[in-house]
Amino acid sequence: MNHSLIALVCVASPLIAFVVALVGFRRRHGIAAGIVLTSGVASLVAAAALLLTAHPEAQAFTSRWFVIGDVSIEFGVLLDGRTLIMGAVVALVTLCIQIYSLSYMADDPGRGRFFAFLALFEWSMLSFVFSANLLQTFIFWELIGLSSFLLIGFWYEKPSAVAAAKKAFIMTRIGDVGLFIGLILLFRATGTLDVMEIGRIFEPQGQPSSIPPGQIELIALMLFIGVIGKSAQFPLHTWLPDAMEGPTPVSALLHSATMVAAGIFLVARFHELFLDAPTTMRVMLGIATFTALLAATMAMVAKDMKRVLAYSSISQLGFMLIGLSAGSLFAGYFHLTTHAFFKALLFLCAGAYIHGCGTNDMIAMGRAGVARMRITTIGLVVGGAALAGIPPLAGFFSKEQIIGTLDGSGLFYTIIRIGVYAAAFLTAYYSFRMIFLITRPNADSLAVEDEPAHAQHAGSDHSAGHDPAEPWVMCGPIILLTLGAIGVGFLGGRIAALLGIEHAHAPTLAEMAPAVGIALLGVALAWFEFGRTGARQAGFVASFPPVQTLFEKRWYIDEFYQRVFVRPVVWFAKLCYGTETRALDGAADKLARGVVRAGGETARRHIGRLQLYIGAAVASVAVLVFYLAME
Amino acid sequence: MTIQAWMMFALVLFCIGLYGVLARRNLIGILIGIELMLNAASVNVLAVNYHVANDPAVGRIIVLFIIGLAAAEAAIALSIILAVYRQRTSIDVANLEELKG
Amino acid sequence: MIAAGLVMVLTIAGAIIGVGARRIVHAIFGLGISLAGVALAFGLLRSPFVAAMEVLIYIGGITVAMVFAVMLSSGGRNEPGEGLLRRTLAAGAALLFLVSVGLVISGTEFGPMPEAVDEAWSVQQIGRDLLNRFNVVFELLSVVLLLAIVGAITIAGRGDESLDPAAADEGWA
Repeated sequence: MNHSLIALVCVASPLIAFVVALVGFRRRHGIAAGIVLTSGVASLVAAAALLLTAHPEAQAFTSRWFVIGDVSIEFGVLLDGRTLIMGAVVALVTLCIQIYSLSYMADDPGRGRFFAFLALFEWSMLSFVFSANLLQTFIFWELIGLSSFLLIGFWYEKPSAVAAAKKAFIMTRIGDVGLFIGLILLFRATGTLDVMEIGRIFEPQGQPSSIPPGQIELIALMLFIGVIGKSAQFPLHTWLPDAMEGPTPVSALLHSATMVAAGIFLVARFHELFLDAPTTMRVMLGIATFTALLAATMAMVAKDMKRVLAYSSISQLGFMLIGLSAGSLFAGYFHLTTHAFFKALLFLCAGAYIHGCGTNDMIAMGRAGVARMRITTIGLVVGGAALAGIPPLAGFFSKEQIIGTLDGSGLFYTIIRIGVYAAAFLTAYYSFRMIFLITRPNADSLAVEDEPAHAQHAGSDHSAGHDPAEPWVMCGPIILLTLGAIGVGFLGGRIAALLGIEHAHAPTLAEMAPAVGIALLGVALAWFEFGRTGARQAGFVASFPPVQTLFEKRWYIDEFYQRVFVRPVVWFAKLCYGTETRALDGAADKLARGVVRAGGETARRHIGRLQLYIGAAVASVAVLVFYLAME
Repeated sequence: MTIQAWMMFALVLFCIGLYGVLARRNLIGILIGIELMLNAASVNVLAVNYHVANDPAVGRIIVLFIIGLAAAEAAIALSIILAVYRQRTSIDVANLEELKG
Repeated sequence: MIAAGLVMVLTIAGAIIGVGARRIVHAIFGLGISLAGVALAFGLLRSPFVAAMEVLIYIGGITVAMVFAVMLSSGGRNEPGEGLLRRTLAAGAALLFLVSVGLVISGTEFGPMPEAVDEAWSVQQIGRDLLNRFNVVFELLSVVLLLAIVGAITIAGRGDESLDPAAADEGWA
């Protein structure tokens, strides 16, 4: 079989599954799930086959859609290192989550629809990743937004889920405007929609002479605005924590390898272009560092496990962007890959705990004894340690790469380096805080349960005394991802080779030492405050109540948006609504009533005097003719 | 006679017919007015036919058609007048104003 | 020239009687005069066949039918005359039309007269055209006439009160 056919199988099978499942078997959940799982397996096998037999050269298989003037719009797949790795990761994580959902969503009345949406999402994501054309990129970027909207708002009877879905959609849409402008500018500057062609234009050292440098900066900035929206960077990050209202598998899917990663992938895809825009890259670096730090502080104080993971996602996306904008495609891309595994793993663990004990509150979870769910807990520890960057787990290698790329000098880079180290420290701290709160519960500690066990999940029928069940269908993906979180870190050389980069930066022990030291410091602090016997289980920020409140309220950014943007818009909308209903509709009603009354009055006077009418008509014609005669 | 003279003649005839249509209360009177207007049109057509047209047969045929249609129209109108008279024992248009809104 | 003038005067005088006479029978008489004048005018316009048709159909047919209608109805005896206002308004509208269109006519330049065609008298030509060029119109007109006859009988032959078609069928059957 040749590559084009395999790629077609990889991209098309989720689409077919989506259509068949949604149209034919929405109410027959088992069949729908079966179809979607089959397509997931097919995609994964195809993606893996493509990855393992990858050509050293980039390949593009396209077919023409239509032609406008000199521009031909083509759809197709582009196979090079970047797309192949990402495609395989997406297919793998999606399949894990689909299997996991079999158990997690087992009691949901709408799971046929759920699986169909999962397939739609997988199709959008794979088509986006393999996109060979700017238009295709944009279309599937938007489809990713749409399908994540559908998935986040899956429980549409829950008002908070609907609000979260809307928020995610609108916030990312703000970024999409920037992306769209950026793509149009890019097309205007290069005159082509072909992704490979664009890569070739920007590939040589130095800026291409055909495009003014300012324009490249502008294009990069616009694309970056799209990335800010999709990958939840400051200041458009606020939608991501709210998106936790969706089912946990959705959170695992959207916030590990796929939706939010789309933004990072875009930067990686056009990395040649970004490299030619040094100013924008500095802005990106600043924003990414700030985001990583900001989200880490929020994760420090959150009690809801899914929220901790959400903040952590934002923070880790910041790390990826740091790597990319510091100039290393490999560092950012590697972290994207490893993060996909350990973050999906952590979300699935969170889902298993929530499924088992019926609460999102980590303190309540720990006290309910979820640590007895062995496989899940092992997954949690591995995932958390990988997130913290403890060697030799996946997160360690990629974070090492990112820190290693920050070798610039000057005040700016010093600040960035300090910020990155602080964020890495906080990452280790909050991930082990999470681990210790769950594995070493302490009923006498200062920690307060916000939400007791069994508060929310109607599906759980376990009493606190029993061991929470660990269905094998859930365990399978967790084990798989645990292995991934352990093993992917060692594949750095392969990934670099696929990306076409010699493993440039092999960190030495001296370079590794500070990063590992900082991570271990974070772990130690977490142990002191949460882990050891008799710990207070209240973080050090609790000693500074205003700071804690600031972190808990997410730096008041949501509040700020609510005040500055949402309320005026709502007020304006209400004004428009009032104008519309009272003034305009009222006027129209009055006018209509007036016309009706006038018609009635006139009709009463019109009683069929034909001669009068004829006379009037003739006289009018006569006047008209007279006027014409006078001309 | 010039064509203008014939057309003016036709116009005067037409306007007299128009006056009859507008002023008369008797339905037969209105019908008389209509016949006069139709004749004025016929005169006009023939005048143009005589003075301007290259093919004189066409104008004559048109007038013949007008006459035929006028006959049909008169037949219908008179039968309506008779029917109206039977119902109301009057052929005054003032009695036929029934479109009360 | 003089003949044409006389014909015009005759026609207009008849027309004025036709619209002005108080008694409807007088008005029909005036209409007859006017129609005869129009027939003469047709003759002057070198269309004697059309003039003959005018006499046959109008004077011989329509005018007589009107007389019958008057005889079958009240004969106009019970009808009140027209008010002054009504006459004034009607005359005003008619005059307005007269003046405007008259201005247009007098302001129009007509082309030169074409060569007089020899076969102006030719009835054969009219007949040939009617059955060739204007065949469709001719046939349509015959259908219209047929319908008019049927319609006239239906409307006029209907009983006093009955308005439904079934009764109408009986009425003229």
